[in-house]
Amino acid sequence: MAFAAGSSISVTSISCSFKQNKAPIRFSSLNSMSLSINAKSFPSLRSRTVQNRFLVSCAAKPETVHKVCEIVRKQLALPAETAVTGDSKFAALGADSLDTVEIVMGLEEAFDISVQEDSAQNIATVQDAADLIETLVEKKGA
Amino acid sequence: MLSYLCRATSSMKTHCFNQKFFHSSFPLAPVQLPSHQETHFWYILPNEVKNASLLNQYLELLSPHEKENVFRMRGEELKKGALLARALVRTTIARYQVNPQVSVTSLKFRKNIHGKPEVEWPHNDDGHQPLLHFNLSHTSSLIACGVTMNSPIGIDVEEKQRTIKNNILSFARRYFTHHEVELLAAISDPEVQRQEFIKLWTLKEAYVKALGRGFSGAPFKTFTLRYKAAAKGSFHLSGNSNSEASEITVDSFENASDFTSKWQFAIFELAGSHYAAICRGIPAEAEGSVPMKLTVWKTIPFVEDKRVSGTDAVVRIGGLFD
Repeated sequence: MAFAAGSSISVTSISCSFKQNKAPIRFSSLNSMSLSINAKSFPSLRSRTVQNRFLVSCAAKPETVHKVCEIVRKQLALPAETAVTGDSKFAALGADSLDTVEIVMGLEEAFDISVQEDSAQNIATVQDAADLIETLVEKKGA
Repeated sequence: MLSYLCRATSSMKTHCFNQKFFHSSFPLAPVQLPSHQETHFWYILPNEVKNASLLNQYLELLSPHEKENVFRMRGEELKKGALLARALVRTTIARYQVNPQVSVTSLKFRKNIHGKPEVEWPHNDDGHQPLLHFNLSHTSSLIACGVTMNSPIGIDVEEKQRTIKNNILSFARRYFTHHEVELLAAISDPEVQRQEFIKLWTLKEAYVKALGRGFSGAPFKTFTLRYKAAAKGSFHLSGNSNSEASEITVDSFENASDFTSKWQFAIFELAGSHYAAICRGIPAEAEGSVPMKLTVWKTIPFVEDKRVSGTDAVVRIGGLFD
């Protein structure tokens, strides 16, 4: 993880795909990793994450992805034949800015989390939303 | 198709165009550029466009990149909506015949730093760029394009019947400013509250699109919209914005980063089914509050154009405009 300076990282065997957008730090042989962060030592963790445009997508639980799909489908009133999957882009499903905001609020309610505006702006696909949810849920539990 | 042609010849000036004549329709009726005070507003109703060959004609207007984007949309209705949006933008701008080198198919677009689309005109010898501005908005049942000369424009349309899934006041507390929340909280009828929420949303959306920054670039909490009775300059906090003489103003908590520090708003009911909001910049040196001159056309490009401003298809809700 990019939070190399003094972070407490525990390594367990959860498979994880690594998505990187502008991060200066590279990992050569990263097999698996999970993350538990001591929130107190990183008060600006979220804003730094967004500034570095750094996203880790751990394969979110299928039930999380499924729940996000349900919420999206309901908000956008999609016809039954429209498939909604992890890689579905909100824009391609016809979501406007009001829909996106409503979806985020729906997700917050469903998962009992709080999404910061800057994180919300980075959500482009269902998978992005599911991954963010899991990060926030885990952070809550940490 | 014959009936369309008959209607066309009686209502259209014939003109030479630098574009292909399509086999089953007539060319776009040319329109004079809007004056600096005018705003032109064109809209199309997707439900009225069902003819497959017409849709194919529209498709042929698009650039390869635009076609890709259309096909990326999931589902037939969304594809059609995306297609009509691009066809509307291209045909609308082409009507003004700004540059003889540019036709409906050769128009190029680019995005500004925040992602707002604008026309990329070919460079003239004198380097002078035309000052035509546009902005697009759509819902599943109506797609609109606003056009101005020499001032930034943002528009937003929403279905009047759009339901809000979340609690409106929670939503407002999170995204709107204190003044706006108060305005909504003062409304006891939930249906009226929902309508006022949507109107406020469209106005705010029109503003951030006019700024060129969009929803993510200009958070809604950083500016307040107010309805003012233009005559007396007093505030109405009841949420009743049906005053004919009301002016809508914006107070921004951030510094205006643009050359225009004044903004004009208009909000109206469109086609009985939608709220439409327009925001345009006016030069800082412009005197007083000059009403916006608004002209609205309903169009099916290559088939029919109908000027509807002054009819009951356009019903003023707020803002100073003719």
